[in-house]
Amino acid sequence: MPVPELSPRWRKVARDLWIHRARTVIVVLAIAIGIVGAGSVLATWAIVRDVVDRGYVASTPASGTITVDAVTPALLAVLRADPALGSVAAGRTVAARARGAGGWIGVRLFAREDLADGRIGRLRLEAGEWPVADDAIVIERSSLDLAPAGVGESLFVAVGEGAPVPLRVSGVARDVGLAPGWMEHVVYAFVTPAALARLGAGGHLDEIRFVTRDPALARDSIRRVASGLVAAIASSGGRVRDVDVPVPGKHIHADQMNSLLYTQAGFGILALILSALLALNLVEAMLAGQVREIAVMKAVGARPAQVAAMYLGVAGIMGVMASAIAIPASAAIGKAYAGFTAGMLNFDASTASVPVWVIVVQLAVGAVLPMLAAAVPVWRGSRLSVSAALRDFGVSARPEGTGWLTRLGGVSRPVLLSVRNAFRRRGRMARTLLTLAMGGAVFLGALNLKAGIRSAMDRTFDAMAYDLTLGIAPGVPVDSLEAALARVPGVRGAEAWSAASGVLVGAEGTWGSSLGLTGVPVGTRLVAIQPTSGRWLADGASREMVVSARQAEDEPALALGNTVTLRIGEVTSEWTIVGIAAGVLGSAWVSREALAAVTGDPGATRAAVDFAEDDVAAQATTRERVHAALSATPTQWGLTPLVGGLRVTSSRVADTRASIEDHLLMVAEFLSVMGWLMLVVGGLALASTMSLAVLERTREIGVLRAIGARHGAIHLVVQGEGLAVAVASWALAIPLSAPMGIVLGNAFGRIFFKTPVAIAPQWSGVAVWLGVVVVVSLLACAWPAVRATRVSARTALAYE
Amino acid sequence: MPLISLDHVARTFDTPAGPFTALRDVSLDIERGEFVTVIGQSGSGKSTLLGLLAGIDHPTSGTVHVAGTAVHTLSERAMSAWRGTAVGIVFQFFQLLPTLTALENVMLPMDFCGTFAARERRQRARQLLERVGVADQAHKLPHTLSGGQQQRVAIARALANEPPVLLADEPTGNLDSRTSAEVLALFDGLVREGQTLVMATHAPAARAYASRVVSLADGVVIGDEVHARA
Ligand SMILES: Nc1ncnc2c1ncn2[C@@H]1O[C@H](COP(=O)(O)OP(=O)(O)O)[C@@H](O)[C@H]1O
Ligand SMILES: [Mg+2]
Repeated sequence: MPVPELSPRWRKVARDLWIHRARTVIVVLAIAIGIVGAGSVLATWAIVRDVVDRGYVASTPASGTITVDAVTPALLAVLRADPALGSVAAGRTVAARARGAGGWIGVRLFAREDLADGRIGRLRLEAGEWPVADDAIVIERSSLDLAPAGVGESLFVAVGEGAPVPLRVSGVARDVGLAPGWMEHVVYAFVTPAALARLGAGGHLDEIRFVTRDPALARDSIRRVASGLVAAIASSGGRVRDVDVPVPGKHIHADQMNSLLYTQAGFGILALILSALLALNLVEAMLAGQVREIAVMKAVGARPAQVAAMYLGVAGIMGVMASAIAIPASAAIGKAYAGFTAGMLNFDASTASVPVWVIVVQLAVGAVLPMLAAAVPVWRGSRLSVSAALRDFGVSARPEGTGWLTRLGGVSRPVLLSVRNAFRRRGRMARTLLTLAMGGAVFLGALNLKAGIRSAMDRTFDAMAYDLTLGIAPGVPVDSLEAALARVPGVRGAEAWSAASGVLVGAEGTWGSSLGLTGVPVGTRLVAIQPTSGRWLADGASREMVVSARQAEDEPALALGNTVTLRIGEVTSEWTIVGIAAGVLGSAWVSREALAAVTGDPGATRAAVDFAEDDVAAQATTRERVHAALSATPTQWGLTPLVGGLRVTSSRVADTRASIEDHLLMVAEFLSVMGWLMLVVGGLALASTMSLAVLERTREIGVLRAIGARHGAIHLVVQGEGLAVAVASWALAIPLSAPMGIVLGNAFGRIFFKTPVAIAPQWSGVAVWLGVVVVVSLLACAWPAVRATRVSARTALAYE
Repeated sequence: MPLISLDHVARTFDTPAGPFTALRDVSLDIERGEFVTVIGQSGSGKSTLLGLLAGIDHPTSGTVHVAGTAVHTLSERAMSAWRGTAVGIVFQFFQLLPTLTALENVMLPMDFCGTFAARERRQRARQLLERVGVADQAHKLPHTLSGGQQQRVAIARALANEPPVLLADEPTGNLDSRTSAEVLALFDGLVREGQTLVMATHAPAARAYASRVVSLADGVVIGDEVHARA
């Protein structure tokens, strides 16, 4: 490929790249893999940060929400006149259920005065149009997959005992303030207050969401504003049930997502470093092959700097080519992974693109990294002594540090030779070994993490010895509910629980976070939570509480041993934190009796049901029967509801688990992909190292041939050396995967479980990895071995 | 001052078996226009001597002056720059860069040393190839050329920067006798045009062309005779 304008030396550079195109392609690929690994994480991070920061602020999330008995126009007028508030909106949240092919699924209906009003917690419409008709429903984007009906179809929604009412799915909207629907396994949907009325749930609203006029207020200041509002509501005759003030301006999961991305960035950078090590190996190999030519160039007057510039240029050109491949690939992967990650926060990253600076960084790293990797060998190569190079070409260096190996007894000669050879070029071999070992460690680490996630999920869900939870409104007497459920065929056991929401009251009487409470019999047979600190509820009569680690972290007042003041309904009471439980689910557990004593016993509003059968179809039937039983004439089941008809929703524990687990496992999957990429880099490193070893030992192989070694024996020497490295890397990967697992388990566990995920070594994975590295080694050494067998005794000895 | 002057030069190598002296107390003056052959058995120190003249090696003691430069005082870096213009080297194994054409190989020293205007280099390389008789091979890669042709290209390359001194280490060592004679005749012609040439060889035939024969044995000069040239 003549390029007329180039000077001879750059023409040599270009032609060498072309002539050794297989090697060029390998180096370019290796660097590209590293850049893809790091670049895709960088792109993901940039997109997610951007989307979350901007998307969340742009939605104008509510500064706080106050729940009252009923929002009246007069009350709204009072609040809208409050100078501290920027805007005020009324809404209501109603638990409902929708009929699907496989039974009922829980639905959370969000009604708003005006769904199109974007001043507080703006909904972004992704399909359909505002306004929403009274016989229509808009599904939240993150629960679209769960919803039994798509856009244009009818969703049969029922509230309580009411008959299912068809609502036309008129659109899809995204509410970035909600945790994703798949995470909670609930279909979120938006309706008008009139639609609630059609469902028989009444058309009134009971939530007041507000945004403070000053957007920069701290949480405590907002809480004081909220306390003022509570007083104002009380003086105008309203009754406040709940107050919730979240951390302002920050998405609830932003911190967690950042730490997840930082962990992944660590792996991206690791991949980059490994690919740089491979580039280093290959540049060394290249220079080793160029020793004679370098000497000749210097003999005809090339200065060391000129020689160095040529080979750094080679590295730079390969780096730029690698960037050209890697940048589109990492952008595509980054976009896809950002979409997934943003989806975990219920953000939409589909229209986001990779920022220019991410591309610039990748290009710079791509060009500079190989040059950095090449710097030391190029420096050494450019300073080669001309006379020595011309004299010694083709002869191997003196063996280093192999004395102890020669003393090994009882090993066959080709094997001994292999092992000894493997340690000859210690730096190069060490890098190859490290690359393969790191790939193995990441792979095993990801595998261990997967197992850790499963066992953490097990720990969470094993504590739940029930299959189905029921939400029942209004409350029913505990005994009759339990009796009614016990009579349903297919139910092995059932407990009536109660649920309430309490608001933490601060020292100066300010209202703090709101806390979901689940009242269970202290001697429950369906919950077996072992708190990570403290203990489980002991006394049914005393006001003890076991909180989740998630709640304890969000609210410092919920520390073990603390006594907190809770306002439940109208009543204020003191509760003592006796235990903190780890797990993915966040609810505080209290004694059913103690809760009833505070709330005046409105009856059981929750129930846990344990199915007799494990079979999915049988469980579905039982679930239908449970619903049928509770919606039948109450007297038929010996049930006396306190008020009116029952509204029953149910959700399967297994569904909840599956939807959470699947998403968590995907993160581990991303890491195993990194492990595979590192394996590819490691394989390439091994191939290049072995090719170089064969080149360096041409003479030695010639000697072997001269003393009668056959093809098989030569193959055995080369393949044996590769295997020695591969097996050593495997052995090294096992201990390396331990700290990897601890780091991963910590980061990951704290994000999703609020407690480290315990990592257990997966021995089956260790065995699989051994097989993988052996195969990789055999493949990587195949070509070097063939090359070695082509060395004839004559040509080898004719050197010099 | 002679073009080349060695004064009490010694070169000792460190070997695993202890220090080994390859050149011992060599003093030698060579004038402009001389055709010197250095003869001696293999291992007698011929290549070591040429290496000192070429600035690819430093003497352990003594001084080396070539074309007015005290070569023994130059740093490694200064040596490469100096070497490019002061000496042209011809090797036994030709040592052409395999991925460059004959023409490009000849252009290379000019490229590295920045001699001649960039536009003139191609023209000059072509003239040199004509001078050594392989102009028709200008655009071929070295491995497609015969040994004799490769050595001619290598000689053209050695002449590229018009060095005052041409050094050749066993230039005919890898050639058959007929081709060897042709290469020696080429050298002879160059010397007749005024080129100074120092050639190491153990081929007796080479003596015929030389104006002076320096004999080495075990690193010591054991003979230095001036010949009448044919
Ligand atoms: N770099 C070196 N290290 C050790 N010994 C060397 C080195 N270079 C040359 N020698 C030794 O010096 C002696 C002279 O070598 P050389 O000049 O190459 O001889 P010639 O060219 O006459 O065959 C030889 O014995 C050779 O082994
Ligand atoms: Mg010699």
